[in-house]
Amino acid sequence: MDHSHHAGMSYMDNNTMSPSHHHPTTSVSHSHGGGNDNMKMMPMTFYFGFKNVELLFSRVVINTAGEMAGAFVAVFLLAMFYEGLKIARESLLRKSQVSIRYNSMPVPGPNGTILMETHKTVGQQMLSFPHLLQTVLHIIQVVISYFLMLIFMTYNGYLCIAVAAGAGTGYFLFSWKKAVVVDITEHCH
Amino acid sequence: MHFIFSDKVVLLFDFWSVHSPAGMVLSVVVVLLLAVLYEGIKVAKVKLLHQALKSLPPPADQQLIAETDGESTCSDSPPVSRTRLRWFLCHFGQSLIHVAQVVIGYFMMLAVMSYNTWIFLGVVLGSAVGYYVAYPLLSTV
Repeated sequence: MDHSHHAGMSYMDNNTMSPSHHHPTTSVSHSHGGGNDNMKMMPMTFYFGFKNVELLFSRVVINTAGEMAGAFVAVFLLAMFYEGLKIARESLLRKSQVSIRYNSMPVPGPNGTILMETHKTVGQQMLSFPHLLQTVLHIIQVVISYFLMLIFMTYNGYLCIAVAAGAGTGYFLFSWKKAVVVDITEHCH
Repeated sequence: MHFIFSDKVVLLFDFWSVHSPAGMVLSVVVVLLLAVLYEGIKVAKVKLLHQALKSLPPPADQQLIAETDGESTCSDSPPVSRTRLRWFLCHFGQSLIHVAQVVIGYFMMLAVMSYNTWIFLGVVLGSAVGYYVAYPLLSTV
């Protein structure tokens, strides 16, 4: 119950913090303490700063304004790439499914009757190249979305703004053409 | 880290510190409304896109029409550029809505990350109510 190590929400005094117990801030409840094994405490509210900001990996620590600017650009581009990847996967899926829909067509029968020839290809085959490509892209999309979540979880105001702005710009740029070919009856998301 | 029932939590911002049952009720209501808004924004984006596609032909079609018209495009160019501008503004507005959706989604994730059970239930309930109210509006295209 030693609160003398904590000044408000400061998490920067990792010289004096004892790793045995963490009690955050001024709130009495011990609901959140972040990681208990490393020396730093996870912030739980938004802040603007660029000193000692750990970004995703232990070696990547931001200490100067220039590094924060570089991180801002990198996160911005990552969020843009994520939106583009989503749109690209959608269009790839649509392209590979259109050919399958053409497979059920009426064909004239021997006596002048119309036979319905239906190919039972539901979706894609498992070992086909488009499906494998979709799977690889899906894994990349999942990993990048978790990275963006973890970046937002740093509670750093600059990085969160970079995520939001990158998502907006990516949506604006990549969805411009997508809106042209979207199906009116499609309303999934 | 585990879920706890508690009246005291600090949510998202330094000034949003809850330390009483009344404050907790208010915070849960706010988080619930946030979740309802999130589901509503998802539906609104789709409906806006459908509306825009129906009333405004997208710029790619306009380009095609202008090219196939040939020499008669000089009289058509002012309406074409005005429609392009309207499409641009509509798409820009949709991008802003997308940014709002991304930010609210992340805020909800961070609220759940506070590991407070009341807040978590508020988010879940808000998502349920929002989906229940907003989803039927999708079919009224």
